[in-house]
Parts: sequence; C-alpha cells; structure tokens
Amino acid sequence: MTRLSPGTLRILALLLVLVLVGAFFASQIDNYLNARLFNRISSSVAIVALIACGQTLVILTRNIDLSLGAIVGFSAYATGALVTTAPDLHPILLALGSLAIGAGFGLVNGLLVAYAGVPSIIVTLAAMAIFRSALVEFSGAQSITTDDLPQWLVDFPNLPLFTVAGLQFRAAFVAAVVIVVLVHLALTRLRPARALYAVGSNPDAAEMAGIDARRTVLAAFVAAGALAGLAGLFFLARFGNITVVAGLGFELKSIAAAVLGGVSINGGSGSVIGALIGAVLVDLIENSLVRWDVVSEFWREAVLGLLILSAVTADALLMRRLTRLRIRREKAAAPATKEATP
Amino acid sequence: MMKTLGLAALLATSATMALAQAKTLTPGQEVDMVLLPKFLGILVFDQAHEGAQEAHAELQNPGELLFQGPTPENSVAGQIEIMTTAGTQGVGAVMLSNNAGDQIVPAAQAAAESGTKIVTWDSPIPNGEGESVFIAQVDFEETGRVMADMAHEIMGGEGQFAVLSASPDAANQNAWIASLESVLASDEKYANLELVETVYGNDQSEESYNRALALVDSHPDLKLIMAPTTVGIQAAAKAMQDEGLCEQVKVSGLGLPAEMASYSLNGCAPQFALWDFRDLGYLTYQVAYGLATGQLTGEEGETFVAGRMGEYTIEADPGREGAKRVLMGPFTVYTAENVEAAAN
Repeated sequence: MTRLSPGTLRILALLLVLVLVGAFFASQIDNYLNARLFNRISSSVAIVALIACGQTLVILTRNIDLSLGAIVGFSAYATGALVTTAPDLHPILLALGSLAIGAGFGLVNGLLVAYAGVPSIIVTLAAMAIFRSALVEFSGAQSITTDDLPQWLVDFPNLPLFTVAGLQFRAAFVAAVVIVVLVHLALTRLRPARALYAVGSNPDAAEMAGIDARRTVLAAFVAAGALAGLAGLFFLARFGNITVVAGLGFELKSIAAAVLGGVSINGGSGSVIGALIGAVLVDLIENSLVRWDVVSEFWREAVLGLLILSAVTADALLMRRLTRLRIRREKAAAPATKEATP
Repeated sequence: MMKTLGLAALLATSATMALAQAKTLTPGQEVDMVLLPKFLGILVFDQAHEGAQEAHAELQNPGELLFQGPTPENSVAGQIEIMTTAGTQGVGAVMLSNNAGDQIVPAAQAAAESGTKIVTWDSPIPNGEGESVFIAQVDFEETGRVMADMAHEIMGGEGQFAVLSASPDAANQNAWIASLESVLASDEKYANLELVETVYGNDQSEESYNRALALVDSHPDLKLIMAPTTVGIQAAAKAMQDEGLCEQVKVSGLGLPAEMASYSLNGCAPQFALWDFRDLGYLTYQVAYGLATGQLTGEEGETFVAGRMGEYTIEADPGREGAKRVLMGPFTVYTAENVEAAAN
C-alpha cells in the first residue's frame, strides 16, 4: 500500500466533510441533489476559486489580503468600461488587461508589506477602503449593464464545454479549475514558487538559504492581485450589471475558503487545491442555507459562521488523529527496520 | 376612484384652511445643503443628485450643495457619521435616503437640535424621530397595489410568486412589501396569487442573482419574482435569462428602463415600474431649502410651489404615525411598448 502524504490526507478529509454536508442538506431540502445544484455551485465557484487561490498564495507567506474583494470590483468595472469603449478587443487582450489591473493593485500592497514593513492586515485593510473609493470615483455613479457588453463575454460563463453524467461543465468553471491546477503544479514543482512555503514556514531560515523573502512576499501579493483581477473579468461576464458594490465581501469569503481548505493561517502550509475545495464547501453551505427553511434570513450569516467553525474544528481534530495514528504506526514499524539494517 | 376621493379630501382640507395659499419660495438665500444617499455609486442616487443640482441653480442658493455618501461597505456607519458631522458644522439641511433604520435617530436628533433640518427622501426614518418631513416618491400603499397588479397581469391571475428585496433593514422596501401583502389580503381579485417567500439580495448583483436562482430551486411552481429594487430586478432577470428560465419564471418589480430594456423586449420582464429620481431630488431640494431658510414651517397642511413641478402639500404620513410627508408620485409602468423610448 502506498502511503498517502499529509496533503493528500487533508484533501480526502475535506472531500469527506463535503459529502457529509451535502448528505445533511439532502436530507433536509426537497429536490436537492440534482444537476441544477451542480450548475449553481460550479458557476459561482468559478469566481471565488480564483480569489481563494490568490488568497492562499498570500496566506502561505504568513500574510493576508483584505483588499481582494475591492480589486475584484474595480477590475470588473474597469474591464467592463474597457470592453464597452472597445467592443472588438480580443478576448486574450481583455483577460491580460484584467490581470494587469489586479497585478497593479497587488504591487502597491506588496511593496508596502514587503519593503516598507507594514503589517499586511493594516496595509490591505486600508487598501480595501482606498480601492473601493477609487472605484466610486472612477465610476462616476454610472453602472455597467449587460447591454453594453459583447455577446461572447456574456455567453462565456454559461457555455457548456462538456457534459459528464448529466452534469454540465461550463467554460468559466473549467477555466478556473485549470488555473488552480496550474498554480498547484507550479507550487509543487517550481523552485521559485516553493519559496512561498519556505518564507511562510520560517522566514529566517529562508533568508539563510538564499531566498529573497521580500521579493517572494511581493510576488505573492502581485499574483494574488492578478488572480483577483481575472476574477473581476469573470464576475463581469457572469453578472453583467456592475455597480460599485461589485465584489463586496469576497475577501472574507476567500479567507474562509482557504482556511476551510486547510491552508494554515500561520503560513507555510496548505494547497490551492484545498482552497478550491474549501471554496466549493463555502458555496455549498451558503447555497443550501438559503434554501433551508429552518434558518431565517437574519440568522444565516451566523449559521454560516458556525458551520465554517465546526468544519475547521472537525478537520483539525481529524487531521490530528490521523497524524497520531501514523506516528504510532511508524514507531511500530521502526524497530523492524532497525533490526534489518545491521 | 381612489384618486377622486383623494382629490376631494385635498379640496376639503384646503377649503377649511381659509385662503391657504401655496407659498412660493424666495430664491437667493444662502444655506449649505448636504444630499446624503444610501451609498455612492448607484445610478438612481446620481439622478437624484442631478435633480437637486437643478433646483440648487434655479433657487440661486449662494451656499453649497454637497453630495456626500458613505462607501457601500460602510453604509450604516457612514451615514451616521456624515449626519453627525453635518450637524456639528451647522449645515442648513441634510437630505437623507436612510439606509440605517432607526439607528440614525440619535445622530439625526442631535443635528436637528443644533438647527439642521432633516428631510428624508426615497427611504425615511422608520419611527420619524429627528426628521422634519419625508419626500415620498410614491404612496407606499400604491406601491403595493402597482406590484400586485403587475403580478396579477403577468401571472394571469393565479400562481406562486416570491419577493426579492434589498436589505432587511431598508425602510422603504419593507413598507412596500408590507403594503403588497395587505393589498393581496384585502382584495378578492388577488385571492389566487400566493406570495411564497421573501428573500434579500442586499442590492448586490451577485447575491441577488444567487437568491433568484435559489428561489426557483426551492419553489418548482414559481411563476414570478417581484423585485422592488433596481439592482435586484436586473440581477433576477439576468439569472432567469442565463439559465433559460424566462418562459417559466417572469421577473417584475421596480427597475430602471436603461437597465431593463433588453429583458422587457425579450419577455423575461414583461412589466416593471418606477418613478423619476431626478424629480425626486428636485422636489426634495425645494422642500429642504424652504425649511432651512425658514420660508416653510413644515406644518401639516402647508402648501407650497416646488418650481417646475407645481404645488405640493405637507400631510400626515399614513404609514408612519406622527410623521409627515410630501407625496410626489406617480408611477410609470414600463412594458415592451414604452421601455425603449424611456431607456435613452
């Protein structure tokens, strides 16, 4: 039997929690488990997953980014304004534009955190308000409406690419998953990306090992901003009507997704695949609570918070038990290997 | 019928107040004014600002007209703060579209005590404390009837529908929904319309969109989503269109022609209604200017001329005991026939 790595174990535990949550709501809500539910969740996860992926990169370096929601909103509005004035703009250029807008904001955050040494929670808290106000100023109270957008963009999120067992896989969702997988591959295979883990788990040791910690932190913020910028484009395509409240609250949702997905808030540990599943979990809980009669409108946020808390706690307990189990098994196996060596 | 009665009552009141003449406002008096929307960056509030600017220029007020609002994520706290600041700075009048429920009351009362007139528009202070008068865009009872009528017509007189509102704290939304419910209960005509659920999208596209879809999932027989909010109605219409549900579930409510035109034309939202936000801003400014310069007393029964919009009377607000209002009205109902002309 090949041994599962702690990371894989964590993913499996998460999937188990996901199934349990789904099973619970299926027992509570009529007509719950169907293709529609998959469409709902996958379509909205397409946006949140990108932001949660970016948030994970930042959290890995022991930082946090509270401005991602504002970046999503700004990018959604700015790309909307851009494509309204230049409707023939090539989709690739538009996507690059959204990445650049987000990266620009991320650069501001990153410079202040990495080089000016201001704690990230303060920098990005201020940035959240500043970016949002910048959007209010930039928009001049005009909203972007679906009518202004080219048809390909409006069609993109709901375009079914392929169907598996009656479940539609739509373009935006597939694109988001592909991006998360690419980021995951980079984080596990590429040396510069591995530096994020090194800086997050032990900054001093990382310095000693010749890693430029500042540049790594800067890169994390720029990448997170870029991903949030792209999420803004996805947001624009899906909702069409963009006002200054676009993307409000996504920063907290992305943190919830990352933490639920097993990304340690202390940095240095976690994966973007986990954050993706975390995003699915948050969305599943949110979507289901809306349809669960037992919880009133006013209590939903509280229940969502409670469920997240219990999911994280359950996950932590499960992980601890599994790790202990493994240590015991390794200890049991150890004498045998010792005897074998001489 | 209702209108004739209202008119008769109005005539009766003006007759009893022997020679109550409509006051004409004297222009040119200096008073600083603050227009305070729920938050910045929503088209309808900007239109109200344009209307206020028009009145500001017309009344040749040498003072300042400031358009100050909180950012969206900080709406309640921001409104309270701006209200407090305006009071301490001795601004003549604050024109408020209240998003803070009764939480704004202490700040509004403090401002009123220091001499600032609080005129609400769009959304009033629920208990009316601290507020001089509310400029009601339409009669809140009439809003319920207009929505009930649109629902009746779109659904062919029977079936299930749901309401998609803004935030659970918005006084105007809650009053409209309450009036819709009472209209539905009081008239036999609507006996077969069943309001199954009210949900809140908090005036965010994303939340409203997801709530609309959740409504469809929860109620397989749903025939209509009624959204008395410009953000909600647009998001709901887009959600139904994206998921190919327009044949099955229609959308109606209060919407901006510019944002709703395509959905009206393709049948997703066959009917919706709204009033003119520029007029609302204009009328609000006229009243606030009159009160702040002492030309209007704000008493019940006081009649005045609001520039190009003509005569209005301050009256008791039927929806809020002890509070006063000026009723603007009326509604325009938009359909595929007239929506394009209004959108431009």
